[in-house]
Amino acid sequence: MAEKLRIMIVDDEMIVRESFLHWFEKDGHSVATAASGFEALEKIEKFPYDILFVDIKMPGMDGIELLEKVKTGYPDTIVVIITAYGSIESSVKAMKAGASDYLLKPFKPEQLSLVLEKINQQKKLTSEYNYLKGCLEKITRFDNIIGQAESMEEIFKLIPEVAKSDSSILLTGETGTGKELVAKAIHAKSSRAHFPFIAINCGAVPDSLLESELFGHQKGAFTGATRSSKGFLEVVSGGTLFLDEIGEISAKMQVDLLRVLEEKKITRLGSRDPIDVDFRLISATRQNLEAAIADGSFREDFFYRINVIQIPIPPLRARKEDIPLLIDHFLKKYSQEMSKRVDRISPETMQLLRQYSWPGNVRELENAIERAVVLSGSRTLGATDFAFLKPSSAPVAESQTLRDMEIFQILKVLDENDWNITRSSAILGINRVTLHKKIKRLGLEKAPPVV
Amino acid sequence: MPQKKKPIGVVAIGDVAAVFLKVIAAHISGYLNLDAEILPSVAHPHFALNENRFQYDCGVILKTIDSESFDGYEKVIGVLAVDLFVPIFTHVFGEARQGGKMALVSTYRLQNNLKGASVPDSLVYERTAKVALHELGHLFNLMHCDDDKCLMHFSGNLEELDETPLFFCRYCTAYFRDALQRQ
Repeated sequence: MAEKLRIMIVDDEMIVRESFLHWFEKDGHSVATAASGFEALEKIEKFPYDILFVDIKMPGMDGIELLEKVKTGYPDTIVVIITAYGSIESSVKAMKAGASDYLLKPFKPEQLSLVLEKINQQKKLTSEYNYLKGCLEKITRFDNIIGQAESMEEIFKLIPEVAKSDSSILLTGETGTGKELVAKAIHAKSSRAHFPFIAINCGAVPDSLLESELFGHQKGAFTGATRSSKGFLEVVSGGTLFLDEIGEISAKMQVDLLRVLEEKKITRLGSRDPIDVDFRLISATRQNLEAAIADGSFREDFFYRINVIQIPIPPLRARKEDIPLLIDHFLKKYSQEMSKRVDRISPETMQLLRQYSWPGNVRELENAIERAVVLSGSRTLGATDFAFLKPSSAPVAESQTLRDMEIFQILKVLDENDWNITRSSAILGINRVTLHKKIKRLGLEKAPPVV
Repeated sequence: MPQKKKPIGVVAIGDVAAVFLKVIAAHISGYLNLDAEILPSVAHPHFALNENRFQYDCGVILKTIDSESFDGYEKVIGVLAVDLFVPIFTHVFGEARQGGKMALVSTYRLQNNLKGASVPDSLVYERTAKVALHELGHLFNLMHCDDDKCLMHFSGNLEELDETPLFFCRYCTAYFRDALQRQ
């Protein structure tokens, strides 16, 4: 069923109000009428309306004035202007003042239906937009970055501080540490939050394409440029541009970007006319740019331009206390997403995951949890669910005594070979009898399967 | 449909070919299973002519004729051969107030196709019956229906009217039955 709307008809002619009223009643809408702009404002103050049909020519407050007042006080209310005195000027004025549509009296019955259909569509799109905006805000919310480690607390303090300024920021850290999340959080906290956030992975785009992607091009600028296109530097206008893997861009692109940052102007490929641009740059790299400068592959002047504020993001192995927190978060996320009740992790497995070095950082952890949740047959994740991490996740002896190290090494090989003594002894370089003796002497047992 | 004691009246307002009245009465009986009677015609509604538009104002006709006595009838369908309008619209094929006593049907715009060429009489009668039954639905408080395969779906032009079927969807049928019981 189409949505039933709350409609108000504002017209000084009673006959028109009645015509509308009878008509909309047939559609089942809730309809009120007002004979003047003042009466309409009084009514709208007491009760919210979805749509106002407003006559442009009324004594006292005219339709345009009412439209302006409604759009100021109740921006979500849709206003359709109706008039018997149609003119281009008045329609342009009404549309500029925020009217959603314009009807010239008398109109064909189907025109009114089309206007209502259009408004319903518009309302649907607006609510979808608001919903998605809410989702986006949730994603880019500051508290979406998880961490209690001291190093992360420092970053949390830094984000709102740096968000206030427009200075270029360089985020450094290994892959998967959450550089883009930090960039999004800075954007969300900044005055540019209502403008676009565009992220480009420079390492993933060939240099020639990157130039066209960033600067845009005019029609005919190169073979295949069949129409003019805006570049990201134009599209991002007012917002934040996040250039990931900035260390990967060519020397030429460094020069081009340096000029943009200094002049705040770009020139599309194939054009000579400069266009003003306004954006905040956040760059990220996993490389050591100082070393790249030293070997000449990165321009020093460009580095200083992008490195006004540097925020190093610590690798996950340097903040192991955050691992349980992150695991908990990802378990909730993926069990919800997959509608699968997998919300526990055995203590041994938690220990295993804490000890793993996580070279891919939070991203690797997230992927590992996702994979485990997908494949797990039980509510609790056990060590077997993370078997794919085994090569580097075998327990490392907590103490460095020779005995402990021997226990861990033997257990590791046995586990990897499903306790096959012949195979394990061959790998360990001892004979089967010696391995049996060691298992007995050290009290080693095959771990029971995790439930 | 349950039978009602009071029949539906079908009345010509001004000069209208008798066949239109017969078609409407037959459809009311045949499709809605209600008794329908053709009443003596009433005078041409000169009083409702809008001289600027050369059309007849539905509101004025309903206000004037509705007050006349049709006591013995549950609802009344007034049929006209003149062009009808309501102030906001360029024209209407018919008009009725929700839950009112009388509806109007005009045959004026039903005689041609969208390009102005005349159409077979059978199609004109079918269109007239559709408009009459649709407006009668409003008299029984039925609202416009979103289902385009329902007689209560709003038809803005002849093309849409021709695509509209002569019967209610199952929801409108249920509402109609309910409205009859509550009368």
